[in-house]
Amino acid sequence: MQLPEFEYLRPKTLAEGLAALAEHGPDAQIMSGGSDLLINMKFRLDTPKFLVSFNDVAELKAVESLPDGGMSIGAGCTLTQLADSEALKEKYPALHAAVFSVGSKHVRNAATLGGNICLDTRCWYTNQSESWRETRDGCFKTDTELCHVIKGADKCHAINSSDSAPVLMVLGAVVVLASAQGEREVPMLEFYNNDGVDHTALKSSEFLARVVLPKPTGRSVYAKLAQRDGLDFASGTFAAGITGSNEQPESVCLVMGSVGPEPKVLHESAEIIMNQGLNDATIEAAALAARGSLGEVTNLFTPSGYKRRLVKALVKDALNELREQGN
Amino acid sequence: MAKQLITLTVNGDEHELAVAPYQTLLEVLRDELGLIGTKRGCTAGSCGVCTVNGEKGEAVLSCCALAVEWHGRSVTTVEGVQEGTELHPLQKMFLEHGAVQCGFCTPGLIMSAKALLDVNTSPTEQDINEAMAGAICRCTGHIKVKVAIREAAKLLRARELQTNEAAAGAAGVNNGAR
Amino acid sequence: MARAKEDLSVVGKNWARLDGADKVTGRSIFADDVRLPGMLYGKVVRSPHAHARILNIDISKAAAVPGVKAILTPEDGKDVWIGMNQPLLPPDGVVKYVGHEVVAIAATSERIAAKAAKLVEVEYEILPSLTDPREAIKEGAIQLHEKAKGNIGWELNLDQGDPDKVFAECDVIREDEFITNASHNCYAEYHVCVSDFSQAGKLVVWTPTQTAILFQKSIAAAFQMDESDVRLLTLNTGGGFTGRTSARPHHYLSALLSRKAGRPVRLRAAGDEEFIMCRAGGKVIYKLRSGASKDGKLKVIEADLLFDNGAYSESQMIVTTLTSKYLHALYPLEASRYRGRLAHTNHLPYYFHHGGGLAQMQFALGQHMDELAHELGMDSVEFGLRNGVEEGYTTPDGTTTYHSCGLKECIEKTAALAGWKDKYGKLPKYKGIGIGIGAMASGAKGLFKHDTSAAMIHVSTDGKASLFIGLPDMGQSSHTTMAIIAAEVLGISPTDIKVVSGDTDTDPFDVGAFTQRGTFNTGNATKSAALDARAQLSGRAASLLECAEDDLVWRDHQVYSRQNPDNKIPFRKVVDQTLNSTEGRFVMGRGYYNSPLEKGSMAYSFGAQIAEVTVDPNTGVVTVDKMTASHDVGRAINPRVVEGQIDGQIFSGMSQVLYEETIMEGGQVMNPSRLDYKMPRAYEMPEVEHIIVETIDPHGPFGAKEVGEGPIVCTMQAIANAVANALGTRIHEMPLSPWRVVKAVKTNK
Repeated sequence: MQLPEFEYLRPKTLAEGLAALAEHGPDAQIMSGGSDLLINMKFRLDTPKFLVSFNDVAELKAVESLPDGGMSIGAGCTLTQLADSEALKEKYPALHAAVFSVGSKHVRNAATLGGNICLDTRCWYTNQSESWRETRDGCFKTDTELCHVIKGADKCHAINSSDSAPVLMVLGAVVVLASAQGEREVPMLEFYNNDGVDHTALKSSEFLARVVLPKPTGRSVYAKLAQRDGLDFASGTFAAGITGSNEQPESVCLVMGSVGPEPKVLHESAEIIMNQGLNDATIEAAALAARGSLGEVTNLFTPSGYKRRLVKALVKDALNELREQGN
Repeated sequence: MAKQLITLTVNGDEHELAVAPYQTLLEVLRDELGLIGTKRGCTAGSCGVCTVNGEKGEAVLSCCALAVEWHGRSVTTVEGVQEGTELHPLQKMFLEHGAVQCGFCTPGLIMSAKALLDVNTSPTEQDINEAMAGAICRCTGHIKVKVAIREAAKLLRARELQTNEAAAGAAGVNNGAR
Repeated sequence: MARAKEDLSVVGKNWARLDGADKVTGRSIFADDVRLPGMLYGKVVRSPHAHARILNIDISKAAAVPGVKAILTPEDGKDVWIGMNQPLLPPDGVVKYVGHEVVAIAATSERIAAKAAKLVEVEYEILPSLTDPREAIKEGAIQLHEKAKGNIGWELNLDQGDPDKVFAECDVIREDEFITNASHNCYAEYHVCVSDFSQAGKLVVWTPTQTAILFQKSIAAAFQMDESDVRLLTLNTGGGFTGRTSARPHHYLSALLSRKAGRPVRLRAAGDEEFIMCRAGGKVIYKLRSGASKDGKLKVIEADLLFDNGAYSESQMIVTTLTSKYLHALYPLEASRYRGRLAHTNHLPYYFHHGGGLAQMQFALGQHMDELAHELGMDSVEFGLRNGVEEGYTTPDGTTTYHSCGLKECIEKTAALAGWKDKYGKLPKYKGIGIGIGAMASGAKGLFKHDTSAAMIHVSTDGKASLFIGLPDMGQSSHTTMAIIAAEVLGISPTDIKVVSGDTDTDPFDVGAFTQRGTFNTGNATKSAALDARAQLSGRAASLLECAEDDLVWRDHQVYSRQNPDNKIPFRKVVDQTLNSTEGRFVMGRGYYNSPLEKGSMAYSFGAQIAEVTVDPNTGVVTVDKMTASHDVGRAINPRVVEGQIDGQIFSGMSQVLYEETIMEGGQVMNPSRLDYKMPRAYEMPEVEHIIVETIDPHGPFGAKEVGEGPIVCTMQAIANAVANALGTRIHEMPLSPWRVVKAVKTNK
């Protein structure tokens, strides 16, 4: 499989890059690690006229401790760089675990945090070569009002497959989106949309420049289930954060990933724990509620019945681990 | 569209090449430089057969790397691993421990393992699995490959020890401290 | 009967593969590495539909692309047949599977060829399609081939003895149904073929293959050429696993394109094409019924197998022959009944995956026997020991006798090493242990018209030799094995021997590396050739040592008399003297082996494997903690390679039973990538303990038998039985994917 033709731009500064994005609008796409984009390009899902590489912009690779006790991570940091970061491991172990679980080591050497956050949604009807896709009509992802997974659907159900997303949401991270017009901040909890096509808050010509993490408080946990370790996209991911004690939590945030077009914030499950603490009964109830809150689940890559069962298991195991941390 | 002139150092040799932006590092290595030791597999980043080492010795999936992104940088391919006319300990151990069968994935495995052993000569089982999970081997089932990696690590540790002792010895002599 | 195991000098030692240095340094050349001046690149335009009528093909836009040098349409392929009823390109205008080849293009770069391919316009009328063999054989189903009534491309019915009578005499009868799903061989090296047909009447082909001869024959026949005018170069083969045993459309297309363009053409599978261009396994449904007496004696097996044959028949009939015979491979039975049907569907023409259809059948039969054993109040180790075959057994059709058989030794040793007695029935919930036993033929006479393996060996004055064989090495180290055999005979080292192979212009005849014939057949041929070469030296050696030729010992690069071992002459001196004497001619040995049987096999390998697993009932993930594997290989010519074969087949068996499935929808593979078609990697592999059993077969070279596909026959059933043991319930469909496991757990609650 070969890449389509494109023009390559390699700005030396962030400003230069943003100007290029502004100039070319939807004709341009961002190249960071390329581990997702290049494959989508080989599949002809993405055929940008211009590829703008931000890999010369040093500031995007910086990891800084912030005066408020938090951390700023440049979107251009490779996942290996972050997986090797003792500081990250110590301060945000759940994020470290998530980053470490992405793909294979080979992939992490090139993939970036920004790329992982913005990872395109996946579906086995579209993540295929162009000739493969000729067997069927197009779908929402390819500009046809159709979904092959859920018949009669009014939007795309491709799955958000970012491993870092659930954790960043639970940690209360904020992403800084830069454009030629300036910067704006979007909390991760508001970054994703429940739509497989228009799945993030990124506007055209915007670039996710860095991730700002607040000072770590409380405890957090991350779990990923995939058919094979060290390689596969998740069948399901789960991140949980809690402040306060197991008996008297002060805040709880639970997010399930890789089950739908956006990472799912489990409000009902969180409420159960907020109100009654973290114990055997509430863990069971929260896990059941998590399964119940899934709504329409696709049978992409794994049968939907299995996914529902998986959710319960994943949530239960992870919440038990979270509780252990507090003991 | 115009090609771009890049310089790329491969196995210590500097090359000047005219490449199109959409040419991958793998295509340039094989088709422009004739270095066919790095094999072409899935071309989608999931089999690891195309693995080369970047400047930090890291494992790079060359099928998913743009040649233009490597302008001014250096890579090592399987052709650059042996030491003079001697095989590298990894190559030796792959041979000695039956870790080579059809050989198609072998360059990818060796470069993936080398990326690990270049920075860590005492890898744990987890370290080895992590380094190798991205590389496929259909014939050996990975079993003797892992044996070979452990044995190569032993040889490299011994070599490190010798180097350290020699350096310490030399330092002692230089110090004249007795 | 214990046969003497002679003290050999090089056989039985661990040898690194002779071509290994090339493989670890990247010097080995595979077909995709071949660069020829003026070479063009091919691209195939394929049907996106499972079943459709072609209404129109317009290649005008494609032909206008600069750099396009040749285009083939169905008209160009009409005289080329790649199977009994499979034309190369559909001349009848009907495409019968997703991916069916319609047009082929050759251009000056892969990019241009792909660009032109996109510009080919094909109009289709979609027809209803069949995607399940059970649907295909139903009354009223659409007929895919005129000559295949009820879409049955082939049917084999075989009774041995009187099964109905024997069933009536049984105390315990058991029935089970199993399914194994479609899969793909998934080698590291993608399908590729380079053809140079630029010289009229002379074709040169570079391609990975398990059998150069059969490819040469079929390609020559297709182009109405003499075989000798087709030269097949198989430099290295990146894995075979039964998927490279016959010429496929891409072989013929690259040759045709080359002839039309007058330039060499490379045609390679790009991405998901790899899952279309292959000969993989289709879905198989097994209905099994067996009967035993209450004292635990198995008496009769009835098997009804329905195979998804795919759209065309080529050589799939072989799988009914193999599976029908296999009912009698492991157990002496009083009777059996077999029905095997190959049903046409709108899938690619299937063949079988690694395991020859037998490993997959054992997933079914091995679990079925496990259940039967339980009903009889035995565990499967006891059942295997009670009912397994022994040396001297002859199959009921009289074709095969087991002159060596270590099945029971394998079962006993494996059970002992794995600690079966302490574990079976005593493990905590969700931990399980299971056994699988198997046998595998070393070559099978009657499958090919010409079954010979031949070898030639040329010895030089420096005492080194070149060994010419026609057996490809697809990773199983066959070339090194042959060198070891020849070296043993001549008393030199395998490292003194260059194995020359992979060019049909010089290769002696050899059917190739399948039906597990390499070690046994080519090994015997090699031994014979080396003996012939040695005979040309014996006269001179005997006269130098003043002894009888029969007294000569050839060992450690020396030649000496058994009566006077201290008086040694270096081997190279004997050669030198022979060649440089006044009447010196040459030292060139030749030999061949053609099994004396009319049908059947001269030797079977046997094995037993015990799997220990942990199942997570919530996620359905099965972890194989350990495999204990024994295999009776007759004699291990190269023990580390035997271990490597066991390892690789444990991997492959585990992969198929737990992970591999080409998930089909509407005739299309939904997971045609190394990412989505799952095979385990470094993290998933278990600890493996090997036990090599040597029964020293009287007919194998130095007693050796096959090991190329015997172990995998044991693996899938062992793991499936272990999972059943862990869960207390059995899963009847392969692979045991997490969702199938979870469903079984749920149903069992």
